[in-house]
Amino acid sequence: MDRKQCCVKLSVQPSRGLMDEKFIVLVQNALPGSQLTIRALHQCEDGHSWEAFGHYTADTTGTIDVSEDPSIRGTYSGVEQMGLLWSLRPIPGSKPGLRMRKKNIQTPMEVTISVYQGHQTEGFADLVPLSGVVVERWYMAPGVRRIPVTEGGLTATLFLPSGPGPFPGLLDLWGGGGQLVEYRAALLASHGFASMAIDYLTSKFTMETGKMVDNQYFETAYRVLQQHPQVCGSKIAMIGLSFGTSMTLKMAIYSEVIKLSAAVCISGSHVQPVEGSVEEIMGFFQKNAGKTRFNEKNEAIWRDLLLPIPTDPSLKADVGRLQCPLLLVVGEDDQNWPAQESALDIKEMMARAGNSHLLTVLSYPNAGHLIEPPYTPHARSSTFKTVEIQEKVMCLWGGQTVEHSRAQEDAWKKILFFLRENLYGDRNPTLFSHL
Amino acid sequence: MFRAHMSVTRIWQLIEKRMMSCISVHGKLPGLQRAVGEVRRKSSFRQSPLLTATPVRALIDEQISIKGRFLSQNYPVTVCAQMHSEEGDLWEAFAHYTTNASGSINLTSDHSVGGSYVGCEPMGLFWALEPALGSREGLRLRKRNVETPYMVNISLLEGHTSPSEGQRTELAAVTTERWYMAPGVRRIEIRQNNIVGTLFLPPGPGPFPAMLDLWGMVGGLLEYRSALFASRGFASLSVAYMGHKDLPGPQHIMSVGDSYFKSAFQLLQDHCQVDADRIGVIGLSYGVVPTLRIATTIGFKPSCLICINGAVGSPLLDEDGKSKMFESDQKHWEFDDRGYVSFRNVSLPDNLPPESKRKVENITCPLMYIVGEDDLCTASTENADVIEEALRSAGKSHQFTRLSYPGAGHLIEPPYTPCSRASLWKTKPEKLFTLWGGHPAPHAAAQEDAWKRILEFMETHLRR
Repeated sequence: MDRKQCCVKLSVQPSRGLMDEKFIVLVQNALPGSQLTIRALHQCEDGHSWEAFGHYTADTTGTIDVSEDPSIRGTYSGVEQMGLLWSLRPIPGSKPGLRMRKKNIQTPMEVTISVYQGHQTEGFADLVPLSGVVVERWYMAPGVRRIPVTEGGLTATLFLPSGPGPFPGLLDLWGGGGQLVEYRAALLASHGFASMAIDYLTSKFTMETGKMVDNQYFETAYRVLQQHPQVCGSKIAMIGLSFGTSMTLKMAIYSEVIKLSAAVCISGSHVQPVEGSVEEIMGFFQKNAGKTRFNEKNEAIWRDLLLPIPTDPSLKADVGRLQCPLLLVVGEDDQNWPAQESALDIKEMMARAGNSHLLTVLSYPNAGHLIEPPYTPHARSSTFKTVEIQEKVMCLWGGQTVEHSRAQEDAWKKILFFLRENLYGDRNPTLFSHL
Repeated sequence: MFRAHMSVTRIWQLIEKRMMSCISVHGKLPGLQRAVGEVRRKSSFRQSPLLTATPVRALIDEQISIKGRFLSQNYPVTVCAQMHSEEGDLWEAFAHYTTNASGSINLTSDHSVGGSYVGCEPMGLFWALEPALGSREGLRLRKRNVETPYMVNISLLEGHTSPSEGQRTELAAVTTERWYMAPGVRRIEIRQNNIVGTLFLPPGPGPFPAMLDLWGMVGGLLEYRSALFASRGFASLSVAYMGHKDLPGPQHIMSVGDSYFKSAFQLLQDHCQVDADRIGVIGLSYGVVPTLRIATTIGFKPSCLICINGAVGSPLLDEDGKSKMFESDQKHWEFDDRGYVSFRNVSLPDNLPPESKRKVENITCPLMYIVGEDDLCTASTENADVIEEALRSAGKSHQFTRLSYPGAGHLIEPPYTPCSRASLWKTKPEKLFTLWGGHPAPHAAAQEDAWKRILEFMETHLRR
């Protein structure tokens, strides 16, 4: 055994981080100029294994610093400090259409990072690494409290930051797949926002009665948040992705009860029957289901369902009436929703109405639909089941991995900045345009 | 007077300018106007402050960055840390800061103007922790269960206050975790070959360089330094040699001798995940005695030695290295006016029986000796001199590294943990408090620097 290589040291700092924190992966004491592979391995909650790797050459001091040195090839290349996480992909032989989503956010995501001799591309399970470390990635900071909410018939979870409060509040909505998705709300609470993740499509009420919730469901959620003793009732924002955008815009513009300080809409559209209930809006999309296309891999493309953007005002949420700042996040390669076309139309409508100073659009070339918190793998397509279509479909989300991952990182940073500026700080209006 | 007037005018000019820009903004932003209006109705202008700590889960020896934002400008605030020890005692530290013109504080760069520490001390809230008012006397903070973290609550209070003062408004808080074990580190209880110890292995296949980790005469099995070594990539074995129920003989004397430490060293050498040619030994306080005995015993070749505040010999040992009862010989004990005892003179080289002093000149590996110059428990400086001279005479100066810290006491431990100047030594037949020495700020600086150098020394001599 080569003595020197036995002493290769691998370290990751910090070894316990939040999901959106960067880390530094350092290899030391390698033979100068030696070829090494750094690999990440993660087994997700449903048992699938994911891996990422990069090929490096140790410098003259025998060191590799992933934050400064380029990966020559691998699941990522170039200088990519967090490439070992965002380029994770299912190991060869895995089921197709996987998407990594953490259900239990009270435990960390554990990733084993190892360094191997040579430039390896496969068969890692049969190789003995030179060194390995385990890294924990958390959605919840210590002291964040997770509180299930069933008041008023809600199916929701409230995450409260540590401390006395009061904290600004946030309503967190996901898309057409339904379920109670908690991870983004947990992470936002770790950044100081009292965040309530809401299940509005597969709530207990809906599962028991077979009926969809109405507008009052969201207003109840708002009230519960507003009246919480540790929430600053006058500083509540809403964040929605995909179909969650439709709900967010609807509530922001039309609700008499909900008064938002800010809204974040990711990968969504303002196209919806203005007077429609949740059910009617869903129905509107269903009506257009015939416009579904399939690519050569038989992956479903749903972006055409809302195209062309209607001119009929009764089919578009009247964004000209918005009174709070709105941040739109758009992936230009979104194959699931026409987010880019909608953003353009929203911009025009707001320019005509004279409230475009409220609008900020973040538009990312080659990013897809699922713009999520950073440093998690990109799924260009995955099996998906909406609440209306009861069978699983291979759905094309879009996006190229590198650009999509950069978009996630940049968008998240700007979303946090936007939320802090509007909910926490002394609002300096010039900062809106500097996003 | 004239200058003051000028300044006031200037201030008003600045305020007016700011108000003007606010007014023009209000005109343009109905959303802002409405929201600000609401705030005005509800409360004062001050927004919810935000306190952050990064990383929020860290190893004990990692620096964290604590920041407060969205506070009033140029405003006095107090940052306070609180935690409970495993024994249930409350430990606290606090510091006074003033926010800057942006309403922020940053403990990495700002200066404390009062409290448990002053000056720019990014980790002051941790090393300046003290038992809260009303606590039992003579406490020392030591973690027994290294598999769980310390939970330290950091809070931001209005004004310059202290935790003991009753009325204080808490503006924000954050909870941090302080860990001795990195993820993936394995903790293995060792009760074989008569050894009472705990082995910590880093994650990964190994083989790893290793350390034998020895503590002092307070006894028991202390795991925390080993856990940290393993978190830094070294296998590490902590052994107990007195004061443990699984050891033979009464707990208050050392009933194990040289063969015990040899077995421990051998265990590491024989372990399949340890590189047998890369094992070092670290000893603090009395632990230095077996450290030097191993190094000067034929057949054992540690790759390096680290000695912290210990003596070259001991008045207590018989030929096998087993000890007599420590309290049997009190002639060199010195008591202060509180009745606290300093054992320093016991280990003055002149007071040590010559036959107990190890032939340090026979040591063939690098040796690092760490001195706390305010050590009231061991005559560290004098013993360091003896070792240094012995090695110099043998032409081995190049093997010797000396770190000497003014104001540091006996217990030079991993960094960012509090300094105990004295603590309870025993309770029977009556309470006895022992003086360790050290003053908080210089002791903290010593721990931080020494730890860094210890790890570098280990990297150099165990990994390359």
